[in-house]
Amino acid sequence: MANQAEATFEKQPMWSGGRSPFNVSYGKLMMWIFLLSDAFTFSSLLVQYGAQRFSNIETAVTTSWPDPASIFNHFPFMHGVHLPLLFVSVMTFILIVSSVTMVLAVEAGHRNSKKEVQKYMVYTIFGGIAFLSCQAWEWATFIHEGARLDSNFFGITEQGYKHLQSVSFSDHFEWADGDRTWGPVPFAALFFIVTGFHGFHVFSGVVINVVVYIMTVRGVFERRGHYEMIEKAGLYWHFVDLVWVFVFTFFYLI
Amino acid sequence: MEFYTKPGDYDPINYVPHQASHGTKELWKTFWLLLGITILDFIIYFVMPATGLRNVIFIFFGLVKAYYIVGAFMHLKHEKINLALIILVPTVFIIGLVMGLLYEGNAISLMK
Repeated sequence: MANQAEATFEKQPMWSGGRSPFNVSYGKLMMWIFLLSDAFTFSSLLVQYGAQRFSNIETAVTTSWPDPASIFNHFPFMHGVHLPLLFVSVMTFILIVSSVTMVLAVEAGHRNSKKEVQKYMVYTIFGGIAFLSCQAWEWATFIHEGARLDSNFFGITEQGYKHLQSVSFSDHFEWADGDRTWGPVPFAALFFIVTGFHGFHVFSGVVINVVVYIMTVRGVFERRGHYEMIEKAGLYWHFVDLVWVFVFTFFYLI
Repeated sequence: MEFYTKPGDYDPINYVPHQASHGTKELWKTFWLLLGITILDFIIYFVMPATGLRNVIFIFFGLVKAYYIVGAFMHLKHEKINLALIILVPTVFIIGLVMGLLYEGNAISLMK
């Protein structure tokens, strides 16, 4: 019956009113428009990162832009071991897993299965909290090593480069005297600004997911007859994952 | 022109089209793909020397991951094409801005 009504709906002229031209609800369309504007926000940050990086190749007062993966070479409980890129890959893995549990919650919502929606929402919330904890640890380590919002002690000297090249994966590594000097300030500043902005989005996503989870438990969507709110929260959550794909590529890999 | 014959049937505020489940097969496939590309990223970082080609590979992999997240997880592949276009087309201009500012940034570094 419902499908038949929708089929006649589709036959109406698209822009003459009386139907949704995109065949989505008001809320979902607005979520997409918000995500588009948020995409521009993150793009402007990443564009600035690119321009700053290219304009700081090497100067008289600072050394060149350091290779990020060799700076973020720490792993919890593995003090002094050179493990570039490993911890951030684990963080990426956590975010991908929480994305898949989110999309499974959306799929369960399409089948109006309240129990499954609850289960997958709990998994997603825990994934988000795990990611935020990892990021807090990474920030703490980076700050401990001397990075600040207004200064950057990661200008790698020639001696430092040789030192980095001489160690291989999982060797012991600690900065020696003369390995580092003052480097381009935007390296540390933009790291804090961009990962901080992304982390704040993850935090908001966790809050949204908790609210939606409580609404599910209280049977709000069951009474409403559909679980579209899960889908809208899911769109936001996947967007956060999408931004991380680019942060991972530009801040760690390249 | 045909118009909607029964006014009141369409309520723009509360209208929610019925969404059918597509099953979980596509979702798990996307998950393994994203995981595989991330592992490949990790391997390539250590295997390949840091060249421009490696950066191009990383950016290409990033775009592939973005395609699958937006298409499968955010369900945009199954939405109407005009909705997908109003979201995707504006982001194309960002690529032009990135190219332009990287070029300008490089020029600034030569003058420093």
